[in-house]
Amino acid sequence: MIATSFKTELEASRLDPTLWPHDGTFANYVGLWSGSLPFVSFFINTVVTCIATAVIAVMIATPAAYALSRGRFRLRAPIGYAILIFRMLPLVVLLAPLYLLLLHAGLLDTRAGLIVGFTTFGLPFAVWMMKSFIDAVPIEIEEAARIDGYPRWQILVRVVAPLILPGLTTTATFVFMEAWNNLIYPLTFVTTLERQTLPAALVLTFTGQFKTDWGGMMAAATLTTLPLMIAFFAVQRSMVRGLTSGAVAGA
Amino acid sequence: MASISLRHVEKRYGDVLALADCNLEIADHEFIVLVGPSGSGKTTLLRVIAGLEHVSAGELYFNDVCVNDVDVSDRDIAMVFQNYGLYPHMSVYDNMAFGLRRRRIATDEIDRHVRRTAKMLSIEPLLNRRPRQLSGGQRQRVALGRAIVRDPAVFLLDEPLSNLDAHLRVQMRAEILKVHRAVAATAVYVTHDQVEALTMGDRIAVMNDGRIHQLGTPGELYDGPVDKFVASFIGTPAMGFISFCIQRSSDGVALITDSARIRVSMAQAQALRKISADLIVVGIRPEHLTLETEREASATDVSVRGRVEMVEMLGAEQYVHVNTDGGSLTARVPRNQPVKVDDTVILAAAAADLHFFNHVTGSALR
Repeated sequence: MIATSFKTELEASRLDPTLWPHDGTFANYVGLWSGSLPFVSFFINTVVTCIATAVIAVMIATPAAYALSRGRFRLRAPIGYAILIFRMLPLVVLLAPLYLLLLHAGLLDTRAGLIVGFTTFGLPFAVWMMKSFIDAVPIEIEEAARIDGYPRWQILVRVVAPLILPGLTTTATFVFMEAWNNLIYPLTFVTTLERQTLPAALVLTFTGQFKTDWGGMMAAATLTTLPLMIAFFAVQRSMVRGLTSGAVAGA
Repeated sequence: MASISLRHVEKRYGDVLALADCNLEIADHEFIVLVGPSGSGKTTLLRVIAGLEHVSAGELYFNDVCVNDVDVSDRDIAMVFQNYGLYPHMSVYDNMAFGLRRRRIATDEIDRHVRRTAKMLSIEPLLNRRPRQLSGGQRQRVALGRAIVRDPAVFLLDEPLSNLDAHLRVQMRAEILKVHRAVAATAVYVTHDQVEALTMGDRIAVMNDGRIHQLGTPGELYDGPVDKFVASFIGTPAMGFISFCIQRSSDGVALITDSARIRVSMAQAQALRKISADLIVVGIRPEHLTLETEREASATDVSVRGRVEMVEMLGAEQYVHVNTDGGSLTARVPRNQPVKVDDTVILAAAAADLHFFNHVTGSALR
């Protein structure tokens, strides 16, 4: 993908493909900015919606996970599993109801609508992942804070949240990556091309009926993948820890 | 400064009865130790006093005010946890100041409090470190400091020394008592270690199966246990027990088996006459038993013949574990007394040092 993004159009479509570009060119990248397509606005759309989704999901998931982890109420287990079941629904199943919802809320074809869509799908996972991180915090630390006179929500903000900060960033990154990779929601909810996200725009613009701009598409794909790779490597270690700790922690 | 009183306190977890009818009066400034084996309910009782657990029945009073429904934060208590429960993301200074900040105390006053407490516990050089950079003993001191700095009415300590090595434990034991004297708060201390209990407590509550078996000073518990459980739990090595048939005749009461004989005192004979049971359990503490020859033993009140099962050498003295017909006994004897495994020995004791317990209920005969 990266190699092809540096090839000329002729070299990219050769019958005997080359591994390294013979005469490398940045033309494909330059073309993304200078071409007729609003590539920059695709990029900004994606970044804004994904970051907003990650932040909102974590902000909602943390108190929810705290309640599921520490609360003592009758419906704790059923609610926990209900949240998990939402995660098991395929993306497509939620498509029609979400579409109607956004239609009535007047959020179709907006960034806010996309954020709502991404969040619905990322949230259950975020809740369960945060729950496993909170479960790992020794209860004595919280009890000490209670004895020190702090109410629950302050304990969450001042004691628990700093302790699970690695978990928080990991969860946020996960939700971010998931939102970034989501193709079907933007394709369905967004109709104006300028408001489209990168992955959807790739599909919509670079593949034509008669000709595909391989070089340009690969350049765009590289730029799409790059932020994801950076995000992944940044939290790789704590991500593995987060996933495994989630794997063994019960309901 | 507070007195604490528990009246018929009960705690249930579903069908499990964790505390049953606990009654306890703790005076102001007193140092009370709750001691018992694991699962005896001592930590649960401490958490009930702290307000971390609600009582299922009964009442809990601080200074004659019922605090059943008073939240943890309003009880004016401080607690030291078994694994310290320090805030890992804060420095030692912030750990200690965290509770004070909640009370909106002026910054310079917080600073003065923290530094004075740190000085008292000699942790001043550690104030800028994080808990993970401290050794176990240092963490314990910080946990203690965090509790003291708030100047609470009641101190609750949940097995605070169990994670420390033996040497440090002895040192911290003295330190905690010193601190308690200095701050003059009421203290409730939980431990499973009866040595810790005997050395530290003004009074001790011995617990088992969610019940308080006996409350008393260390001396009272040691000399006059109310039942077989307290007798066996307090004291190391534990008290030994042998069962005897009571033989009543016109001229007195005799306790005789094939291998053992007891001449009871007048008072003991009277007490034994009053009960209807035919069996009695006799308890003897290791330090009251001596190894005697057959001829010497005939002159003593108690003589028991048995086979040596194990000899434990402790330097100055040795523990001799002896198997007899009615049960096993342990004797603490001087090291120079020659004894080895499988020897047949005769143990002797004075009648005044005996404890009698009901064969069925285990309660002491008075």
